[in-house]
Amino acid sequence: MHSPAPNAARDFKPQPEQTFFPDVALDRALGVVMALATEVYVLRDRQFALERQLARRGVLDLPQLEAEPTSEELAASSADRDAFVAHLMSSVLGVQASKGPTE
Amino acid sequence: MNDARTTSTVSARSFAAGQQFVTGVKIYWHRSLYPALREEYAQRARADGRPVESVADVRRLLEDSTLYRYFGWCERHMQRLKYSGRYGLVPWFARQREAAERALDASKRAELDPALEMPRYYVNCDIHQHPGGVWSDPVAGLVYERAARTTAPLSGARYADLHDRFTDLVGERGWRPERILDMGCGFGGSTRPFAEQFPEASVDAIDLAAPCLQVAASRDGGRTRYRQMDAARTDYPDAHFDLVTSTMLLHEMPPPVVEKTVSEAARVLQPGGRMIHLDFYHFRDPFQRFIHYTHGRRNNEPYMEPFAEMDLPGLLTRLGFKDIRIEPFAEQEGTLAADYPAWRYPWTVISAERA
Repeated sequence: MHSPAPNAARDFKPQPEQTFFPDVALDRALGVVMALATEVYVLRDRQFALERQLARRGVLDLPQLEAEPTSEELAASSADRDAFVAHLMSSVLGVQASKGPTE
Repeated sequence: MNDARTTSTVSARSFAAGQQFVTGVKIYWHRSLYPALREEYAQRARADGRPVESVADVRRLLEDSTLYRYFGWCERHMQRLKYSGRYGLVPWFARQREAAERALDASKRAELDPALEMPRYYVNCDIHQHPGGVWSDPVAGLVYERAARTTAPLSGARYADLHDRFTDLVGERGWRPERILDMGCGFGGSTRPFAEQFPEASVDAIDLAAPCLQVAASRDGGRTRYRQMDAARTDYPDAHFDLVTSTMLLHEMPPPVVEKTVSEAARVLQPGGRMIHLDFYHFRDPFQRFIHYTHGRRNNEPYMEPFAEMDLPGLLTRLGFKDIRIEPFAEQEGTLAADYPAWRYPWTVISAERA
């Protein structure tokens, strides 16, 4: 038995959400941040569960995974780190990636 | 590899983790944001110098506070995320619908009244931000039952103590009821402790929401009758009960319905019978009152404020009650202490004797 989705059965007309900040953009952006934070937590939870299962089966060396990386490992990952940061931060510069109107 | 998952699948583990995150933020809100807001309010009040006498005074002091904006946002939206969205309770139970309904004990059924019309005030607002409310979907009772686990997240598993402390209080007053009516029983969280506290008494429990009553009946191992009925208009004869109770009911009703409900309690009580309600009415100061009124708005409980503004002693006196007592209630040990730091509901016991 499948009932109609909640609210679909009634004359549900979406209303504007409550706002708390002088600029509603912040209200909405915070919602995006919180949704992402939830996903991060769900992934962390899943990753830890996976690691525990693998360690129990002897597939994973948990102490080695938790140890500080060696200088070789750091050297190998530094380019990846720099690319990650550049991608994350490039919007802050406010520079066009393609030729076109500026406003 | 046989992997039946799709991109839209949320496993039980992920659902639980999403809910855990929401609860974690709510706990932070209770324990950290609230005390910080209270401190900021105190500083602003000192700097302002004028006496703080009303909710409007508190609002004036906090309306441009950035901390208050985050406090309000978190209260509103973490509750939204609890019920709605990818890890929300409503979508989860909608996906588990058949298994969830099967998990209820079909041999125990509440007495439903399909002809009962839901009052307008009840259907016009999805209380607690529960989409569709607690009444419109067959699994809404299960959603509400699960949601109640984290209504007061600081209590954790001890939340059940709240109901036990309430029924203990009835016992401590020396009342020995023989016929009990629990109004607005929901999924039975308030009813079962009464039935256990008074094993000799007959217990009737009523609610508007059929989905909640089905959960209540399924969870109850005993003699309680669960019936679908409006507490403001029951079918019981005059003077039928010697104890009428409710837990967290009255603040969900507009004042005229509160008046009808209390008046109905008076009608079905024997002379000398008692009425006792656990609700939100007593405030320590205007700050707590302001926080409660704005909580009502943010949590979709529009009658919290009007209820708290009612003249209950006057109403109960007019209805012929005596020994009217309105007292703060400690839902846990120590929560009434002046220095208790975290957010809490303004729990209040409202009791009276039918003259």
